[in-house]
Amino acid sequence: MEIKTNDYRVWVDGSTIHYEGTMRLSSPEDYAPIQALMKQVLEANEGRIDLDLMGLEFLNSSGINLFAKFTIEVRNRGGVGLGVCGTARIPWHAKSLPNLKKLFPALDLQIL
Amino acid sequence: MKASFGTQRPDLTAPGHWSSRLVLHGSLPVVWAHCGATAELLGELYSGQAVRAGKDANEAHHGINYLTNELLENAVKFRHATADSIELDASFTDGVFEIRVRNHAAEGVAVRFGQLLEQLTASDPNELLLERIEANAVGASPSASGLGILTLMSDYGAEFTWQFEQPDAAAPVMIQTHASLRL
Repeated sequence: MEIKTNDYRVWVDGSTIHYEGTMRLSSPEDYAPIQALMKQVLEANEGRIDLDLMGLEFLNSSGINLFAKFTIEVRNRGGVGLGVCGTARIPWHAKSLPNLKKLFPALDLQIL
Repeated sequence: MKASFGTQRPDLTAPGHWSSRLVLHGSLPVVWAHCGATAELLGELYSGQAVRAGKDANEAHHGINYLTNELLENAVKFRHATADSIELDASFTDGVFEIRVRNHAAEGVAVRFGQLLEQLTASDPNELLLERIEANAVGASPSASGLGILTLMSDYGAEFTWQFEQPDAAAPVMIQTHASLRL
């Protein structure tokens, strides 16, 4: 599974979803294909899902909301682990990803 | 209509206070792309000044880029159908990046935005951000739930002042957003 544009790329490798590039989509509706891909991965995995954000340089607030909603969906489902990996090189990771852990304390957050 | 919200600021109209001025207009796809390009441009321009003031280049570039992009995206989303130009002024002084965005909105849009701002400025932004995210996830929050503004307040420490002015009842409402970000 892959979504690719001139600005960003999202692809799945096993139970890991990788993101790279710049996401400045204009509304939650524009993020719907990515949301659908994430949901497919959630439906297909009962153990743990990992979100690799190491290459995601920029994400606007609609995009941050996408990850927050997914985190809540995993939390509410129960029994599925969630890992999120970011990098200290990209400032928004350290600023905003900790909010995901506040929403779901069992989330495994790594800022490398 | 005349109203203001957020931290009240001294007069920012003094000559020379702003060092950049840009005007955006055009169709939605064009002006949306210009939001990102403008944010990148200001990030490059002012992070250079910030570095000369001893600030971290990467942090400064990202903070300016994120703040500018969010304010411009909001202005585009809620701009008036005919009075659709968006004006932007920016400056960097004493370690603080400031930006002022002006757009026009229909009266109903402005009233709803003002109600939202009353809520956003009356609570702790860290707590309200998580509350709004939870409400959004179950569809209990309107689409204009202020998550971008709350993220800027909570995660970036940005401070805001909004001023609304409507010269007469038939005219669109001018919304001026002033934000400051200590780098």
